[in-house]
Amino acid sequence: MNKFIGYGILLLIYLGLSKSLSPSELGISYINSKESLSKLINGAPSTVILTDIHSIGFLIKTYYHKYKVVHGFQSYEEIIVRTSKQYSDSIKDYLGMSIFRRYPDGRETYTPLPPGSIFIGNLSFGKWLRHNSGDKIWRFFRVYRQIPTFLGWLDFQPTKELHDMILIYEKENKPLHGLNNEFGLLGSITKKKYTPYYERQKPQQIEIDRFLKNYLKENFIK
Amino acid sequence: MNEIFDKLLIRILFTIFICVALLLYKYAHLIFYPSSKKQVFRRIYPSENYVDTMHFFSRLIGVSIIFSSLEFNEYIGISISAFHFFVWSIIGFTFYLVSIYIMENIIFSNFEYKDEVLQKKNPAYGIISFVNAICLAFIIKAVFKESENSIVILVILWLFSLVLYGISTKFFKYICTIHFDSLMIQKNIGLGLAYSGFLFGNMVLLRSVFSHEHLQIQSYLILVVLKTLLVILIMPLFRAGIHYVFKIEAKENQELDQDESTKHLGQGIYIASVYLTTALLTSIIVSQIHFGTIYPFF
Repeated sequence: MNKFIGYGILLLIYLGLSKSLSPSELGISYINSKESLSKLINGAPSTVILTDIHSIGFLIKTYYHKYKVVHGFQSYEEIIVRTSKQYSDSIKDYLGMSIFRRYPDGRETYTPLPPGSIFIGNLSFGKWLRHNSGDKIWRFFRVYRQIPTFLGWLDFQPTKELHDMILIYEKENKPLHGLNNEFGLLGSITKKKYTPYYERQKPQQIEIDRFLKNYLKENFIK
Repeated sequence: MNEIFDKLLIRILFTIFICVALLLYKYAHLIFYPSSKKQVFRRIYPSENYVDTMHFFSRLIGVSIIFSSLEFNEYIGISISAFHFFVWSIIGFTFYLVSIYIMENIIFSNFEYKDEVLQKKNPAYGIISFVNAICLAFIIKAVFKESENSIVILVILWLFSLVLYGISTKFFKYICTIHFDSLMIQKNIGLGLAYSGFLFGNMVLLRSVFSHEHLQIQSYLILVVLKTLLVILIMPLFRAGIHYVFKIEAKENQELDQDESTKHLGQGIYIASVYLTTALLTSIIVSQIHFGTIYPFF
């Protein structure tokens, strides 16, 4: 019995030391709620876009998120954070969307909205133009022309109607995936922009014949 | 053709240089073993005392093992590379002889070289001393490789490895029921074999514990400590697995009428084999499972 107790204590020491000393545990932040995201972001106006979700591990999974932080007056930055399964599952549907915004007055909102919602309608960054279709579309000033690329819009053009919807949904704290479901896990633009995530989700099919042939070739014939 | 002759000549010159280094070793040996002055300077007759022969030649093998980790880089200049070899070989066999001196004082704390080797010709002492010298040489070779020509890192790693190796020798009484001191007095070869397997196993484990990427000394040493703990956790599992799969009964079979030395010989072979097997298998788990990193996929 004493042996088992000793073994258990050693196991706990190993786990404790690994957790606190292992270099792989250091240098990566952990978040388990949307509120904890705020501490990682500096400056305003800023918006955080969820760009990738990844899990590693064979039996016990560790979850990671990749965020793109787009600032108003500087280039974007990318951060990788460790997260919990619950939090990861709760925001999975908002891939490619803005999940955090900090306005110039310091106000912070966490409603999932199309990327760049913080900039649309802000006349310091752009202006509304009348489109041939009759809709008003948002156009960034020339100095901010890189922002749509940072936001991953591709050919997306936000309209005045979308802007109005954004204001309503943000006030009611309801997620908005765009007027035609362009953003989010099932969004047409997200699927085009963040292909690595969708590639990883496809079930891997292994053709035994081909695998064995390659294996023999690479290990014994080459 | 000139170039080929030149290269051959350089190789012969370096061979002579290594022989000179061995001569230096001969004198360095005296610093740590002043009592063996006669042994070193008189003509050696290997058949005269086989225990002494083992004791002496184990060190020679050890020094060769350490020398085998050194390199001559002729392209930086013969004199510079010879000087480099000279400096590092002196460092190498100094560390080696100090290690042997410390470890023999730990392992044979109740026994004297003069009594056991020169007078009693104790084979158990000879075998253990032989294996200990070779194991230490392999450990120092691993430490030399990891230090990457930095004397500060070499000293830190050498001390660290010596502490781990020294502590590991104290675990012998926990892995078997053989009593070291009493069987040593009886000149039992079984003890020699058991302890040899134990030391070889410890050497394999230490080398696996030290074999990982070395970017920063602090994180490197932290990983060494973590891997050492992992070794302590994994080894009993392999040991239990081997006992279960092969139905090994470590206790004596009372029905058989065997003399003590035969029993101990069998026990010694069993202890050495099982320990070395578990150590080799544990080294796979500790240092040969590569998890990679998340970043390339993300």
